[in-house]
Amino acid sequence: MAVTLAFTADLARACPSCASPLEENRQAFVDTTIFLTVLPLAMIGGFVWWLRRRSKEIERAPEIAVPEGLLRDAGPFSKSR
Amino acid sequence: MADDALGRPYGVPARREPILPNGVLGMLIFVATEIMFFSGLISAFVIGKSNAIGGWPPPGQPRLPVEETALNTAALLASGVVLYFANRAFRKGSPSTKRLLAVSIALGGFFVVFQGAEWVALIREGLTLTSGQLGGFFYLIVGTHALHVLAGFIVLLYTYRRLSEGDLDRFTFWPAQIFWYFVVGVWPVLYWQVYL
Repeated sequence: MAVTLAFTADLARACPSCASPLEENRQAFVDTTIFLTVLPLAMIGGFVWWLRRRSKEIERAPEIAVPEGLLRDAGPFSKSR
Repeated sequence: MADDALGRPYGVPARREPILPNGVLGMLIFVATEIMFFSGLISAFVIGKSNAIGGWPPPGQPRLPVEETALNTAALLASGVVLYFANRAFRKGSPSTKRLLAVSIALGGFFVVFQGAEWVALIREGLTLTSGQLGGFFYLIVGTHALHVLAGFIVLLYTYRRLSEGDLDRFTFWPAQIFWYFVVGVWPVLYWQVYL
């Protein structure tokens, strides 16, 4: 019965753009799909790459000893420039 | 207290600069979501434009002021460049920071005012939110950007006030800059897509 139903069912259209007769519209749909897929991946990938680079830079930087009094007063995120 | 071989007092923990300050990380995440939001709007516009029968812009609709907006675009880009120099001056502790920041804010204000004047003219010509696809997309996309410019303008004003009070630190200034660079950077893309 399931096989019979599969043959009798009409083709489903997910959205008007997929079935658009205009070539330009179909192309725009494909382009924007690629764009919206690649963009977040590129942003996250770029951020992770930058974080790793920055982390390595900080690892290489010499440690600075801070007097206890200064630590108590200002904390690690003081307003120094 | 005795010092170790490197001259550090014993028992004092070393402090490193954070990889990324919290404010900057929060703003970067926010800007990333905003980029996706504007990308969605632009994608919808591109598909809508490609689906238009009779060409784009649709016949019978007012033409967008391309040349005038180019001038406005230049003002906004200049605002971003001046803000960059304001940051450089800030890092050096230069007194010109205040003047540069004021110029950047003024250019941003010029953009907002000019945009408002442009909208009034377009509404008078009959381009409204409900006049057609062009009007709908135009006010949605450009209006959303204008709201962001307004928000960025307020944030920059806040940083200017903090700077005037001698209370501005880089952990406040950086996120404000990131947001403004986003507002400035996304505009040429919108201009290219919507106006040209």
